[in-house]
Amino acid sequence: MRTNYRVNSGVRFRMLSKDQLRELYWGVLHVLEYTGLEVHHDEARDVLKKAGAWVDGLRVRIPSYLVRRSLKMAPRSFTIFARDGNPRHDIHIGPGRAHFGPGPTCPNFADIETLERRPYVKADVPQVAKIVDALPNIDFCESLGTVSDVHHDLGALYEFAGMFPNTSKPIVAWSYDRHDSAGIHEIAVAEAGGQEAFERRPNYVHYCEPLSPLVSTYEALEKLLFAAKHRIPLIFTPCPIAGGTAPVTAAGIITMAAAESWMGLTVAQAIQPGLPYIMGGVLSVMDMSAMILAYGAPELSLMMAGITELAHYAGLPLWQTGGCTDSKTFDAQAMIEGSMSVFFSALSGGDLTHDVGYTESGMTGSVFQLAAMDEAIGYSRRITRGIEVNEDTLAVDAIHNVGPNGHYLREPHTRRHFKSEFWLPNLHDRRNFEEWDMMGRTTMKGRTVAWVREILATHQPSAIKSETEKVIQKVLEAGEDRVKDQ
Amino acid sequence: MSEILEQISTAVIEGEVEEMVDLTEDALGDDISAEDILNKGLMAGMDYVGVEFKAGNVFVPEVLRSARAMQESMSVLKPLLEESGVQMLGKVLLGTVKGDLHDIGKNLVGMMCEGAGFEVKDLGKDIAPEAFADAVKEFEPDVLGMSALLTTTMRVMETTINVLEEAGVRDKVKVMIGGAPVTQAFSDQIGADGYASNAASAAELAKQMVGRA
Ligand code: B1M
Repeated sequence: MRTNYRVNSGVRFRMLSKDQLRELYWGVLHVLEYTGLEVHHDEARDVLKKAGAWVDGLRVRIPSYLVRRSLKMAPRSFTIFARDGNPRHDIHIGPGRAHFGPGPTCPNFADIETLERRPYVKADVPQVAKIVDALPNIDFCESLGTVSDVHHDLGALYEFAGMFPNTSKPIVAWSYDRHDSAGIHEIAVAEAGGQEAFERRPNYVHYCEPLSPLVSTYEALEKLLFAAKHRIPLIFTPCPIAGGTAPVTAAGIITMAAAESWMGLTVAQAIQPGLPYIMGGVLSVMDMSAMILAYGAPELSLMMAGITELAHYAGLPLWQTGGCTDSKTFDAQAMIEGSMSVFFSALSGGDLTHDVGYTESGMTGSVFQLAAMDEAIGYSRRITRGIEVNEDTLAVDAIHNVGPNGHYLREPHTRRHFKSEFWLPNLHDRRNFEEWDMMGRTTMKGRTVAWVREILATHQPSAIKSETEKVIQKVLEAGEDRVKDQ
Repeated sequence: MSEILEQISTAVIEGEVEEMVDLTEDALGDDISAEDILNKGLMAGMDYVGVEFKAGNVFVPEVLRSARAMQESMSVLKPLLEESGVQMLGKVLLGTVKGDLHDIGKNLVGMMCEGAGFEVKDLGKDIAPEAFADAVKEFEPDVLGMSALLTTTMRVMETTINVLEEAGVRDKVKVMIGGAPVTQAFSDQIGADGYASNAASAAELAKQMVGRA
C-alpha cells in the first residue's frame, strides 16, 4: 500500500496563479457591479431586477453576491447524451476533460471534390455530420457553414435537420431566433422521448452570442430565455476582439468577456436553477495590419487558456477554441496554427473546444482541416494523458530480466503495454523512404483528402427514430409556411 | 516647403494630437493659407502614413492617431476653408445595415475615411433603409457607405438602394459597400457604385468616387 503518495497522471499546464485568478475573478465582479451591461430585453431585465440587480434604463448592474450565487448554482460536471444511447458518444463534462468539435456558420465551404472555396449549401450538412460521426477524436457536431440555398431565415433549421439524422454525437445548435430554437428543440425532444426525458438526458446544447463590448442583445437573450425555460444546456459566448471591441491586454479582454458571459449566467440561473451552463468567449486579437480577427494567433491560445482557468476557478466549464487557422488553404500555416491551438486547448482542459476546421479566419469551413486536426487532437491527447508511474510501468523487473545487451522486443512487458503506451498515427506517415516512394509519395494533404472521401463512401451513422423523421418534416414545413410571404 | 508645414506633417505622422492646434495657429500666423496647411501639411503627412501602412511598417492604432491629429487641426481650418470657398474632399455617411450588429469593420472604415480628409457621419449599426434615406436627405453626403457581415443581411443593402431610389436621392450619392462576405460581383448585381475589401481601400474608393483620387 502506498501512503502519502501524490499522483500526477496527466500533463498539466497552469498559467495563472491563484492570486492572479482571484484578481481576475474580482475584476469581473467589479465590472458587473459598477459598470454593468446594456440588456436589450424587457423580460430579461425584469428577471434580473427581481433577482436583485439594479436596472437603470437599459443598463443593468449586478451586485457581486448575486453573480457568485449564480456561479454556485451552475454545475461543473454534467453529461450531454448521444441521441442513440451509444455511451461512446456521450460527453461527460467535468474537470480535466477536453472535448473537440467543428465551428458554426462559415459562409463558404471547401468543396469535397474540387477542394475549391464556394458557398455552403444544404447538401453539405449531412456530409459534415457523417464525417464528425466517424472521426475518432471529434466529440460534438456543428456544421461548419451557413446553408445558403434555402430561405434565408431557415438556415439554422435546415442545418439542424440535416445534422441530427447523420450523427449521434451531441450537436451544438445555434439559431437566428426563438422560432428556430423551438423547431430544433421539437426535433431533439421527439428523439429523446418527451420534454422530461430530454431534461434527464439532454442530447444537444444551445448556443447564443452577446455583443462586445458589454451588450446583451435582444436576439441572444430571446434564445437564452428559450433554452433556460426548456432546460437546454446553454453556451453564452461573446466574441470580443482585443484592440477592437475589447481591451488590448489579455487580462482586460478576459475580464470583459467573462462579465459578458456571466450576465447571461445570472439570467439563466434565475430562471432555471442548476441549468448546465457553459461559459463562453472566443478571444483573440485584431491583426493591426490585415484588420481581421486572427484565428491563428498565439494570443488566441493564450487568452483562451486564461479564460479557461478563470472559468474553472469560478466553477464553470468553458467553450474553448482551437484547430482553426487564418490560412486560405490546406498548407503548412494551417497545420501549424491548427495544431498549436489544439494542443493548447487540450493542455488547458477547455471543456468543449470548437472551431476545429475553420479556415480563412472563420470565412471558410473545411472538413480537410477538421480531419487533419483529428490527428492533431489524437497526438495531443496522448501527451496530455501523461506518464503512469506504478510498479508495473516502472519496469524494474523487465529491466532486470533483460539485463545488459539484451532487447525488449519479445518481452511480455512490451506486448502488454505497447498499445496503451504508444499513440498509433492514422494520417501521419512514418515509413522509410523506399516504402513511401513505392506507395506513391503521398503527402499529408493527399492522405487527408483520401480519408475524408473514404469515410463518406463507407460510414453509416446510426438512424434516428422514424417518428423523429416525421417531426423533422413537420418542423421544416411549418418553417416554410412561416416565411412563405417574406 | 516652409519649416512650419514640415512640422505639421511630421506632427501628423507622429500623431502629436495635443500640438496640432498650436502648430496650425502658428502657421496661420505666418500667413500660410488654410488650403496650403491642409494640402502641404496635413495631407502630406497622411499620405506618408498611408504608404507606410500599406508597407506594413505602421499599424492601425498609429494610423488612427494620425487621423485624430489631423482632425484637431481641421477644427481650426474648417471655417476658414469654407469661408474661402475651398472645395472640401466631401462627406461620407456610414452605417451597418438593418439586422446586422457587426460594427468594428465599419468603424475602421469611418476612421480611415476621416484620415483621408472626409467629413464622416456614422449612423451606427442595425440601420433601417428608411433611416439611411432620411440621413442622406439631411446630411447630404457625397458617399453612402453600407457595411454587412452576414449573408442574410447583405440583401438589405439592395433594399436600401431601392428605398433611396423611391426617396428620390439615389443619384445624389455614390453607394459604397463592404463587409466580410460582400464581393465585387454582389456590388455589381445590386447596383452599388463600388465595393472595397478593407478599410484602407474603402477610403481610396471614396476618394475615387468624389473624383479626388
Ligand atoms: C462602406 O464600405 C465598406 C467597405 C469595406 C468594409 C465595410 C464597408 N465594412 C467592412 N469592411 C471591410 O473593412 C474592414 C476592415 O478592413 C473589414 O471589416 P470586418 O468586419 O470584416 O473585419 C473586422 C475588422 C474584424 N472582423 C469582425 O469583427 C468579425 C469577426 C467575426 C468572428 C464575428 C464577430 C466578431 C461577431 N459576430 Co458574427 N462574426 C463573424 C466574423 C467572422 C469573420 N471572419 O468575419 C461572422 C460574420 N458572424 C457570423 C454569424 C453567423 C453571426 N455573428 C453574430 C454575432 C457576432 C458577435 C456579436 C458575437 C460579434 C460582433 C461584435 C461586434 N461588435 O461587431 C450573430 C449575428 C448577430 C447580428 N444580428 O448581427 C451570428 C448570426 C451568430 C449567432 N448565431 O448568433 C458569420 C456569418 C455567416 C454568414 N453566412 O453570414 C461569421 C462569418 C462567423 C462565422 N464563421 O460563423 C472588411 O470587411
